[in-house]
Amino acid sequence: MTTETIGRRFHHLEVEANERMPECQLVLAPTTAEEAAAVLDAAAEHGLPVLFWGNGSHQGFGHRVETAIVISTERMNRIIEWSPADLTVVAEAGVRIGDLALRLLEENQTAVLPEAPVEATVGGVIASGQSGWGRLRYGPIRDRMLEVVLATGDGRVVRGGAPVVKNVTGYDLPRLATGSFGSLGLISRVALKLWPVGERAATVTVEAADRALAIAYRPLAVIEENGTARVYLTGTSAEVETQTAELSGTAVDGLDWPHPLAGETVLVVRVPAGLTGAATERVPSSWSYQAAFGVGEVRLAGPSEPAADLLATLRDWTATVGGAAVVERAPEALYEKVDPWGEPGPSLELQRRVKAAFDPLGICNPGRLPGKL
Amino acid sequence: MSLADDLAAFLGPGRVKTDPLERHVYARDGGLRTGPVEVIVHPRTTAEVVEIVRTARNHGSPVVARGAGTGLASGAVPTGPAVLVVLTRMDEIHEVDEASRTAWVGPGLINLELSQHIAPLGLHYAPDPSSQSICTIGGNVATNAGGPHCLADGTTVAHVLGIELVTVDGEVVMLGGAAPDPIGLDLRGVVVGSEGTVGVVTRVLVRLTEDAPATRTLLLAFGDTADAAATVSDTVAAGVIPAALEMMDRVMVGLIENWIHAGFPTDAAGVLLAELAGHPAAVEAEAEMLSNIAKANGALSARLAADADEAARWWKGRKGAFGAVAQRAPDYYLHDTVVPRSRLVDILGRVHEIAERHDLEVMNVFHAGDGNLHPLMPFDAAEPGTLERVQAAADEIVTASVEAGGTLSGEHGIGLEKRDLMSLVFSPVDLDAQARLREAFDPVGLFNPDKVLPAGSRCFDYGRPAPAQ
Ligand SMILES: Cc1cc2nc3c(=O)[nH]c(=O)nc-3n(C[C@H](O)[C@H](O)[C@H](O)COP(=O)(O)OP(=O)(O)OC[C@H]3O[C@@H](n4cnc5c(N)ncnc54)[C@H](O)[C@@H]3O)c2cc1C
Repeated sequence: MTTETIGRRFHHLEVEANERMPECQLVLAPTTAEEAAAVLDAAAEHGLPVLFWGNGSHQGFGHRVETAIVISTERMNRIIEWSPADLTVVAEAGVRIGDLALRLLEENQTAVLPEAPVEATVGGVIASGQSGWGRLRYGPIRDRMLEVVLATGDGRVVRGGAPVVKNVTGYDLPRLATGSFGSLGLISRVALKLWPVGERAATVTVEAADRALAIAYRPLAVIEENGTARVYLTGTSAEVETQTAELSGTAVDGLDWPHPLAGETVLVVRVPAGLTGAATERVPSSWSYQAAFGVGEVRLAGPSEPAADLLATLRDWTATVGGAAVVERAPEALYEKVDPWGEPGPSLELQRRVKAAFDPLGICNPGRLPGKL
Repeated sequence: MSLADDLAAFLGPGRVKTDPLERHVYARDGGLRTGPVEVIVHPRTTAEVVEIVRTARNHGSPVVARGAGTGLASGAVPTGPAVLVVLTRMDEIHEVDEASRTAWVGPGLINLELSQHIAPLGLHYAPDPSSQSICTIGGNVATNAGGPHCLADGTTVAHVLGIELVTVDGEVVMLGGAAPDPIGLDLRGVVVGSEGTVGVVTRVLVRLTEDAPATRTLLLAFGDTADAAATVSDTVAAGVIPAALEMMDRVMVGLIENWIHAGFPTDAAGVLLAELAGHPAAVEAEAEMLSNIAKANGALSARLAADADEAARWWKGRKGAFGAVAQRAPDYYLHDTVVPRSRLVDILGRVHEIAERHDLEVMNVFHAGDGNLHPLMPFDAAEPGTLERVQAAADEIVTASVEAGGTLSGEHGIGLEKRDLMSLVFSPVDLDAQARLREAFDPVGLFNPDKVLPAGSRCFDYGRPAPAQ
């Protein structure tokens, strides 16, 4: 009944549901943060849950959310301002990361967002805290976040940060929003810090990832994929050539990134960087994996059948070394068997209060976060 | 029992200071204001901090954390009688994990001591405020401190992986850790830069950075500061991000030379100090490229440091700049605004015009590569009317920076100094959201009250009661 009222009021924003979206009564696609805030205001008034949708690429993270309304960012898809001389860009949440990457390449710049899937949206990768492979060199995605505009769970438009590369003016909302999985509100617009793309790049296949990590100076990434280790280099031609020689491996020009993991179930193991190799040793031989050395992240893909047991074994280990093993993607049945996050950790009560500061009625992606926040 | 007695009950009487001399010493930090300190304590452990917080709360007394007191925004100056928790005794390096390149340290550890300690491992702690030989890691966390080398490596927030925080309830929570991307809301970023308003930081897990195998240090002299500023923009636009790119104007260089004899050219209108750090095969080419860009912008000279000693002398000069100002006047007002780098030329012109109009001297030494300005106005507060003129010029400079697309503070923080300017950059709704976020950590206003957010920020109540089920 109440969803119908909202549907009538925001009829002009209504779009078709796509088949990957969870079941819901209404899909709205606002064009501005203000419109999104108006929808959230109405949803809050009626106590209706809202789920945010970019491209759906990262909806596999976290607890399943039952929703009445889906807010899609498909109409918030403009690159608002790009200042190559300042190495900053302001983009709306619905811009596809592939489109942004191509655009920035026109001036040899990058936001170091994930490389794939190209259809994923800027808002989606930020909300799910997904970093590009280049994080070994450039840091995680949160370090790119200069400014954020949120449409909050109580229907306000809140801006935090500023589109400058250095800032300590008030509380850091941009970093708080990163990895918040829509729990505070809709990330509507962001300003990102950019980096120049090196004049030359190479991918060097080497014997051992950990040894290569010790030899190479600030590579973009050192990735071991199913036993094969590769080092990704960029920089001046002279630097890439010399570093390639120092690594004494087989090199190809350009960045030959691993393909996204195929498989029904994808898990992510996060441990202190020095334990990346130890984490790969815990991957069952029937599973494929990609391990980011120097970062401490191993993604693994395999059949859903033994995933629950595997997750439990991995968590026994990560609990002892400090870290987590989480579900990135899985058949629905797995979410009924396991907690996709694991133990929520010691700051849950504080997190609950922080969420309430932005979403006092708990209508934004309710229950998605650890501890069903 | 009095607050001091209650504190002494577990700290011992010798460790609770209330004598007037001590209170006078701690009434000021690196900023311009003073405030009433009631009791000073120097905890040695997290457990002691917990007891201090609980005791202060029972007495309704605010808690103000303090590191070395070098902050420039009066962030560690109480606005009313408060317990000043000085963390300098919690200065241990608890653990260094070489394989993961991290270290757990106490908040009272001096920034430079960390880098010295890990130097044999070929590692350093990247954020290097000019005050690094005296300021603390806890203070750096609370102000999200920057430094010359934050251009390529990012400010403190990019180097803090975990934080142990004593909360308003006297509980100890751990935020983040050595593994990447902690699950749940990432509250580390809220604590970094929060200027002591959300709790007391009692332990920090920092990221350590590998030393660059090669560095080249360049000194570029210009006949016009606009040419120096253009060189900065052109360098960034050409895709070169130096490890550091610092600018000093003629007045500043003169004072530094008088004091430190760094070897800077005193006849230039503007000097750029640049450091290129990286693989040997890269820094050579980048140094040449930067020299060429400088020459194309009319540089008078471009010199490469002959050796590590000369480079160290130049850096000593740069980092000693604020100290050198004391020759000119007893007081100075220092700004910390940030503008988009492409606006540097305009803003430097505006700053000079504003100072001239208010009959004030202004000098510049700043993190040009980040667009982080530090115009500095020396004055004598004893001269009647001067402080008012300085304040008026200061407000105009901040407004001009904001109009150029910038913001109030790049690294020193808001504290009291810039608190009432926050509405220049944030709407009432933005400020209310920040106030609520702070309330989520500290609903009773225990930690460093009156700082950062102007009075009346918490002004809306949009939250609705939940509808009846
Ligand atoms: C000569 C000089 C040069 C400087 N150069 C730079 C520079 O290049 N870059 C830069 O960023 N800054 C610079 N500063 C400013 C200052 O050194 C930094 O802000 C520094 O981070 C402050 O550290 P501190 O230990 O002195 O902190 P304090 O001044 O003692 O405290 C600063 C703030 O942090 C809070 N705080 C301190 N410790 C804790 C804790 N453990 N838990 C919670 N809150 C805490 C305080 O309440 C206060 O709000 C300079 C200052 C001077 C005097």
